[in-house]
Amino acid sequence: MDLKDRTAVQLWCGTPPAGESDPEQIPVITPYAPPVWKKNHRALVIFPGGGYTALAQYEGYGFAEYFCEQGYYCFVVNYRLGKDLGKGGCHYPAQLSDAARAVRLVRSWADELGYRTDKIGVIGSSAGGHLAASVSILPQLGLILPEEGDVAKISSRPDFTILCYPVITLGKYTHQGTRMNLLGEHFDPADEKRLSLENSINEKTPPAFLYHRLGDTAVPCENSIMYARALRKHGIPFELHIYEKGNHGGALAQGHPWVAEALRWIETL
Amino acid sequence: MIFENGKEIPLWNGEPVLSHGNQEGIDIPTITPYFPPVWNALGKAIVIYPGGAYSHLAEHEGRGYAEYFAARGFHCFVVKYRLGADKKYFHPVELADAARGVRLVRSAAKELGIRPDCIGVMGSSAGGHLAATVSNMHGQALKSPDEGEAANVSSRPDFAVLCYPVISADPAIANKGSFRNLLGLAEFDEAKSRALSQELLVSEQTPPTFLWHTMQDAGVLCENSLVYAEALRKAGVGFELHIYEKGPHGQGLFRGHPWAEECVRWLNCF
Repeated sequence: MDLKDRTAVQLWCGTPPAGESDPEQIPVITPYAPPVWKKNHRALVIFPGGGYTALAQYEGYGFAEYFCEQGYYCFVVNYRLGKDLGKGGCHYPAQLSDAARAVRLVRSWADELGYRTDKIGVIGSSAGGHLAASVSILPQLGLILPEEGDVAKISSRPDFTILCYPVITLGKYTHQGTRMNLLGEHFDPADEKRLSLENSINEKTPPAFLYHRLGDTAVPCENSIMYARALRKHGIPFELHIYEKGNHGGALAQGHPWVAEALRWIETL
Repeated sequence: MIFENGKEIPLWNGEPVLSHGNQEGIDIPTITPYFPPVWNALGKAIVIYPGGAYSHLAEHEGRGYAEYFAARGFHCFVVKYRLGADKKYFHPVELADAARGVRLVRSAAKELGIRPDCIGVMGSSAGGHLAATVSNMHGQALKSPDEGEAANVSSRPDFAVLCYPVISADPAIANKGSFRNLLGLAEFDEAKSRALSQELLVSEQTPPTFLWHTMQDAGVLCENSLVYAEALRKAGVGFELHIYEKGPHGQGLFRGHPWAEECVRWLNCF
């Protein structure tokens, strides 16, 4: 694949799987290279939020612009979306397939682009956090295209997970729009239970950094607490930072301390 | 003015409540102020309770914190409260000493140039349990007849900073030694300790709280901070919770660990 910096390329080498409901959506991935004098041999696969129906690029390209300056090879994934609260668009497992494919692809480029295959993390905000967590916990449920060849055999499990005010559960504390756009109108209750990720965390789940704001009225901070408690139960390392002030969103938030905490944690993994 | 920068003085006028001796160090609790530089005084105060499982006092969580936070603008007061275990001062003595510290500082607020509505507490480990206790039970703290003006002043902290605190008497997560030492028991007793299980005492009156802990803490499990935060959440009380991954119990300022800066940021919002 001919990669050009800051230029989007298609995620799939054919028709994306699980796309029958909306064949017009073509998921893409955009690389952001770090400066050569700063590169730290780590990569971040970035999933912007947007309720699984939009892509809030300040959590996508915005993060990439910043984190590549810190030395990370960044990749923004414009994954497929639901529409009209699940009545249209693409549903599970389309976006999970996109996310898993993105991690596989990024790992396949490691030698060429100069980062370690064991230092590839995912970072997601809000619904993008649900997706980052999903690919961390359930990568094997993403669909694979036969055209992938050897790339299909590469692991799609991230080495670490950064979750920013994430949606985690599809139960009581969920964000309804996110839930409906992900599941679509007709879904298997077993999938809903599995995608309430606090139920699915297992010993293979990578370490995670979570941050949330107490005043978040869109996605309650209980989501982050549930994820941390589930990691704790399985003996998986984590950090959990619940800040008091502020509401949902905010991304880099004008120099909010979460960023420095996250960078410190990643660097000491 | 009773306070002189760096000078340790007795916490009580005359005999401390519930005293059974007059030996310095054991029977006489003290308070030591650490003032900020005059060019960086924020008008906010922190009453500090060092940890030590209620059987001793860890200096790095007392004077160590005071010097750090004073340099950043806070009037700090280290309370050497009376101890349990073999020192034989049991609950409610610690609560009385802790609350007296808050009252004394508040009664001197005007002279010190401190806002009377910006006086908080900070405690580590068992000192964190004490800070939570004074947050939730200050109304029950015993006063002495010799207090003068300080008797009329509230002992309620305006904020609380809990560092890897002992909180809960739930046997699955309790630091049993601290409860034994505080209550003078030979064996941990859940029923007796439950009355001081602080996550059960949180209400909407509990002051806003900053909690930090390490996930690797084997001395006091981080679930203590988690359950307290969950209780604050249910009660609608503002808080921050920072569970860091690495580090053992009891590290105090921990060689420049980011918790302290996060705490200063949070305190600056008052």
